[in-house]
Amino acid sequence: MATVTFDQATRIYPGGDRPAVDKLNIDIADGEFLVLVGPSGCGKSTSLRMLAGLEDVNDGAIRIGDRDVTHLPPKDRDIAMVFQNYALYPHMTVADNMGFALKIAGVNKAEIRQRVEEAAKILDLTEYLSRKPKALSGGQRQRVAMGRAIVREPQVFLMDEPLSNLDAKLRVQTRTQIASLQRRLGTTTVYVTHDQVEAMTMGDRVAVLKDGLLQQVDSPRNMYDRPANLFVAGFIGSPAMNLVEVPITDGGVTFGNSVVPVNREALKAASDSGDKTVTVGVRPEHFEIADGEAKSVSKDAPAGVAVTVNVVEELGADGYVYGSAEVAGSQVDIVVRVGGRSVPLKGDVLHVVPRGGETHVFSTSTGERLSD
Amino acid sequence: MRTPRAAAPPALRRKRRRELATTAGFLSPWLIGFAVFFAYPLIATVYFSFTHYDGFNAPTPVGLKNYVYVLTEYPFFWQAVRNTVWLVVAMVALRTVFGIGIGMLITKIKSGAGFFRTAFYLPYLAPPVAATIGFAFLLNPGTGPVDHILGRLGLPQPGWFTDPSWSKPSLVLLSLWGIGDLMVIFMAALLDVPAEQYEAASLDGANWWHRWRYVTYPNISPIIMFAVVTGVIQTLQYYTQAIIAGQVASGIAGNAGQQFEPGYPNGSTWTVPQLVYNIGFQRFDYGSACVVSLLLFVVAMGCTALLMRRRSGLMAED
Amino acid sequence: MSNTVTAGDRPGRTSRSGRGGVPSASGIALRQARRRKKLEWIAVHSVGLAIAVAFLLPFVFLFLTSVMSDSQALTSTLWPQHWVWSNYTAVFRVHGFGTWWRNTIEYAVLGTVLTVVSSVPVAYALAKFRFPGRRLAMMLVISMMMLPPQVIIIPMYLFWAKQLHLDGTLWPLIIPMAFGDAFSIFLLRQFLLTIPKEYLDAARVDGCGEVRTLLRVVLPMARPAISAVALFQFFYCWNDYFGPQIYSSDNPAAWTLSYGLQSFHGAHQTNWNLTMAATLLVMAPVIVVFFFAQKAFIEGVTLTGVKG
Repeated sequence: MATVTFDQATRIYPGGDRPAVDKLNIDIADGEFLVLVGPSGCGKSTSLRMLAGLEDVNDGAIRIGDRDVTHLPPKDRDIAMVFQNYALYPHMTVADNMGFALKIAGVNKAEIRQRVEEAAKILDLTEYLSRKPKALSGGQRQRVAMGRAIVREPQVFLMDEPLSNLDAKLRVQTRTQIASLQRRLGTTTVYVTHDQVEAMTMGDRVAVLKDGLLQQVDSPRNMYDRPANLFVAGFIGSPAMNLVEVPITDGGVTFGNSVVPVNREALKAASDSGDKTVTVGVRPEHFEIADGEAKSVSKDAPAGVAVTVNVVEELGADGYVYGSAEVAGSQVDIVVRVGGRSVPLKGDVLHVVPRGGETHVFSTSTGERLSD
Repeated sequence: MRTPRAAAPPALRRKRRRELATTAGFLSPWLIGFAVFFAYPLIATVYFSFTHYDGFNAPTPVGLKNYVYVLTEYPFFWQAVRNTVWLVVAMVALRTVFGIGIGMLITKIKSGAGFFRTAFYLPYLAPPVAATIGFAFLLNPGTGPVDHILGRLGLPQPGWFTDPSWSKPSLVLLSLWGIGDLMVIFMAALLDVPAEQYEAASLDGANWWHRWRYVTYPNISPIIMFAVVTGVIQTLQYYTQAIIAGQVASGIAGNAGQQFEPGYPNGSTWTVPQLVYNIGFQRFDYGSACVVSLLLFVVAMGCTALLMRRRSGLMAED
Repeated sequence: MSNTVTAGDRPGRTSRSGRGGVPSASGIALRQARRRKKLEWIAVHSVGLAIAVAFLLPFVFLFLTSVMSDSQALTSTLWPQHWVWSNYTAVFRVHGFGTWWRNTIEYAVLGTVLTVVSSVPVAYALAKFRFPGRRLAMMLVISMMMLPPQVIIIPMYLFWAKQLHLDGTLWPLIIPMAFGDAFSIFLLRQFLLTIPKEYLDAARVDGCGEVRTLLRVVLPMARPAISAVALFQFFYCWNDYFGPQIYSSDNPAAWTLSYGLQSFHGAHQTNWNLTMAATLLVMAPVIVVFFFAQKAFIEGVTLTGVKG
């Protein structure tokens, strides 16, 4: 068990003009479960492989504990990895698969047997120990891949999208199993996924990457409540946060027929950089349906923004309204969460006002967060 | 916009050096083999082609004399070249067509497929010497069954391997008997054609010709290309069957060192590879033999280059 | 298209018991389709059968001749009057047949083992390692594959015979196989390319160096390709005529079956029965081996097909 440090780690592929991973800086605490998440091509798998020793590191350093492992081969790093396609050796039984690394390390047979059986018990694999991978289901294979990693008792677990090949129901089940297993074992874990729901539910902290650059690393709660930039704001949370460009006025920004108060320094920063607009973010669940008593800019029109309902998704407990509205002269798509029982119809017009204190303001030009 | 490349840190360079050493280790058998059994002899062949060398005295440089000799004085050169070209064209064309035909046939046979596959493939396995002797016997005008049966049926009975105008077609027939390798290749290629394309075509109202032209042929044309080029290169090396057929037909013993009339009958089975043997090992003119070797090399490499240009799939990377 | 339906007909059914009415058009179409299919089946199977018989007949005739008496073998009658099985034992009694057999086995087995052992690491490196000059190396391998042996035979012969005095043996043919065979390397590489990188990554993370990765993880997965390569090389050595002719023709003790058969025929030109018996004896082992290793063989040939 140890800490993991990415220190300005960089990877450029030969012939590439942009780094696949650009000066990545993350300090992972001992026993922490850190999730690397982002769209495809963002560099999350590459970062994991750099940590594993399967990719060259062109610049910067990677440390496990106090050791600089940047250019060490994988076998000298004391890590174990779970691959997306499991990579179970097809010609070996489950037991041999799980014990392979220990055999290479010269551990004696009795101890290998004992550790394999222990891990099999934890993962409910005892009856499959003498089977070959092709005789197992997808979920069982996934567990064997986990077992192979656990048996090693390494300093760090690396997991590269281990749930992607499972069907949805199994994925949800296995998610909780992995999270509780990690808590029980207490091993530092670096986990890669493209699914932000997995990231938010499993990680102690989440690191969002885009185009090789780290966008934000924070606890799921903080990331949800205070996204550091436009990309994170739109990536985390489902359905995604509504992001609308609005003009700056005195004391705030105009949102339809209301003024949303915004921190003065933030406004000053925005207009200093020459922007006339900022981007306002409101999560679908942070809209209030206006009922005529809210303050409105013009006395004739109701407060907030008028959203014309296009599609309604009824999910039982709530519903999501997908509509369009005119804000600052252009048509934008707005998603609003409504109660499950009082769902509007297509064509209805809702007037929505963002809840005070739940608005995020981002610079239109740089994407950085402006509100506090 | 390229990121300026900083020099790799020393640890990374060390790692790369280690990897290179490992690679060299894995490649070492081939590296040695390439140098000793390919590069060296090639250079030596070029060198010898410009010398007079009989194997006993040291080689003496003679400029282009060997080339002149081979191209103008040596009696069998041009006939061998003509024969080889004839064989290349006839064998490759017929084998390819026949191979595709048999491949298609075999994919359509469901019941007893194993029997048919074995029957078509078996003759390919026969060692060339054995197959040629067997075939030559079967086609022997006096004692072989084929002419006997043709006679009974009242059909003309050609001289096959003993008749100069039939000897090469008989060799082609022999090569068609050994169609097994092409059958398997084309069978695999045909089975690889996605069934949906046929289904879509029949929905579009395609008949058998359309199906071939628009679905089958485009899908298997890389394999056809491969089969043609490797067929050419193989036929350029055509040696054993031609020699044995000539020997058997001429009824002359082929014991150690003893000569027989090569290219029997009437030089019709001379091929270029036989020239190397005849000039080098029977006339002990190693220099001139190398001239023929070089000719073979140039033609074979030309075909290889053609193959590599059209089929970058051969060089598929990870 | 109008469907003329009569009582007793249902759309889509062939009106076999046509109860006094015009059968439905769709019924006709179905019957035509079925007939076409049947005709196709008959055509395909009869053509196939004819060709198969034509392919197998030579073996039959060879066998029939091999059990004829000396005098009958010189005639062109087809069926043996007496079945002279002793022809086969006579072939074995011919001086050298046993030697030829032994030499051929030695050549084929040694050649195969050396080829596989030396070609696998090369193919693995070419398939899985990244290094400068990889493309060049591949092009060279392909060039070596396509090289006719007659191109390099003169300097090679002079090297083996004059420098090393190994003519009169089969060593000049066997030794080069310890340094990789281009065709085997090519085949193996094509196959190894299909092994997903993840297995190698897993092995490296599990603590394997490159050699162990190859031996413990990749090799077991490459069994079909290795079997195919071994078989190809075995048959190549068994069927080789040119090589033994060049290097061992002066020394009958080193003759192989191919060269020996050719000389046998020369010595027994009028004894077609004996020659056919010898011919079949040379063909037989290859066919037997094939039957036991069919799957690997066919798989290997398809690997050569170079897909994509």
